[in-house]
Amino acid sequence: MRRYDAILPYLLLAPGLFLAAMIILMPLWQLSVLSFSDVNRFGVPRGLTGWDNYARIFADPDFYRAFWRTVVWTVGIVGGTILVAFPVALILNEDFAGRGVARVIVMLPWAMSLTMMAIVWRWALSGESGMLNSALIWAGVIERNVQWLAHGQTAFPMQIMIGILVSVPFTVTIFLGGLASIPDDLYEAARLESASAWQCFAELTWPLMRPFVNIAVVLNTIYVFNSFPIIWVTTQGGPANSTDILVTYLYRLGFRIGRMGEAAALSLLMFLFLLALTAVYVALATRKGRA
Amino acid sequence: MSGPGARRLRKSALCWLALSPLLVLCLFPYAVMFITAIKPASEVLRPTWWPSEPAWHNIVDMWNATGFGVALFNSVKVAVLSTAVALAVSVPFAYALDRFRFTGEGAVRQFLLVTQMLSPIVLVIGLFRLIVWLGLVDTTWSLVAIYGAFNIAFTVWMLQSYFATIPRELEEAAWIEGASRARAVAQVFLPLALPAMTVTAIFGFINAWNEFVIALTILRSDSSHTLPIRIFSLVAGRYTVEWHHVMSAALVATVPVAIVFSWLQRYLVRGMSVGAVK
Repeated sequence: MRRYDAILPYLLLAPGLFLAAMIILMPLWQLSVLSFSDVNRFGVPRGLTGWDNYARIFADPDFYRAFWRTVVWTVGIVGGTILVAFPVALILNEDFAGRGVARVIVMLPWAMSLTMMAIVWRWALSGESGMLNSALIWAGVIERNVQWLAHGQTAFPMQIMIGILVSVPFTVTIFLGGLASIPDDLYEAARLESASAWQCFAELTWPLMRPFVNIAVVLNTIYVFNSFPIIWVTTQGGPANSTDILVTYLYRLGFRIGRMGEAAALSLLMFLFLLALTAVYVALATRKGRA
Repeated sequence: MSGPGARRLRKSALCWLALSPLLVLCLFPYAVMFITAIKPASEVLRPTWWPSEPAWHNIVDMWNATGFGVALFNSVKVAVLSTAVALAVSVPFAYALDRFRFTGEGAVRQFLLVTQMLSPIVLVIGLFRLIVWLGLVDTTWSLVAIYGAFNIAFTVWMLQSYFATIPRELEEAAWIEGASRARAVAQVFLPLALPAMTVTAIFGFINAWNEFVIALTILRSDSSHTLPIRIFSLVAGRYTVEWHHVMSAALVATVPVAIVFSWLQRYLVRGMSVGAVK
């Protein structure tokens, strides 16, 4: 009986570990092999070539453009999301009439799948018959129809805006959890010492919320860096690659123009980057757990 | 006007005013989807906001014109089965993580964390080759396995955080009364864990329901499409898009799930933040 108890946890873990390993480790192995192989257009490897695929990625100007656009994409969405979500969470933490309704509305973008959200925006942003143009003309913001998705200069900021919109609900939820964890007594005490509202924020709310902001930044960075549907559905990285980020560049390399070896190499590089981010997250989460 | 009532009114108005730009933006996609879905075909391309009359029959027309039924069946099948797979392996997994101390526990947790942070997109090429090798291209079964596996981490975190709240004494009392460990789990533990399992299952269902990039890669023929792929294929690479059909389909695919999601959303953070955030 005792020996049985000792192996029991491993037996309970086995099916889950096996399935996860199949779906995670096997593809990783496949990616490693492909990334060091000469792969033809039909995805068939024809012998090892060392670091050629990696070298070709780093020699491709499209890679650098996609890389920098990914930086703008990630920083823009994560930064924008925090800037919007923090004050919104502060407001939603106040007691006001209709707060329940406002909370539900703020959460709505999260309830729609990214694909559907992107399809709706592709239609709403259409130049001739899009409802964004008609709404903006009605409101007097613009005078003529804007062809939002026809140029990278207008399409990409719109895609970032969509990214912010869908990231805000999750981030607000994290912040509301953080705000709820701050004891009311602290504010009572501050008020007794006649601290101003600004002092309360700067001395109490912000320092106590810092761990939650850190976690929101890291988690959002991971999600946004990987986010594929918004750009693929609205522009597929076009026109003329002007909205390409690394994940859409990767997908096109692999499945549209048949450069699987290079796509595999890029996948592995991105995997390593995500691993590093995950390590940052673990460090932040455990530090907070101990505090 | 003065007094606490007036002050509260003023505060409420200020809060709503400050939130209003975001609220408009949150409602905008739903409004576009709903209004386009019920516009008569002749008015869809006219950039007006309101239809002259609501064309409810769009939804019926869409159903027949887009093969919605087949895609709906595929989506339900994939979402239900992959959730069942994830739960079947995650319940014992979470139970072991919560109720046992064993060597390698830290490593298991870290592996789980990596699988959760790993987006399918960085694995999609390797996954595709795996599926080709298994001869499962263009089958929804491959999605059942992949979604099931990707859902394990989230499911385990959700369940474990709840399992930790079920007192051990309840099981121990059953042991003292002579029940085996398995019996105690089945008769005492699992019934108490049922609410958590239900909520977790619903989120697993929604994740699978919404997944895009793997389905886009693996599914080829119309008969195997899930809803996101079916609806995307009505838009992508076509010269004329029947937007009222697309938006009707998006509406029907989104609204039931969105209602359930909004209702349960407050439980979600537990699993997504890996126990780090309350």
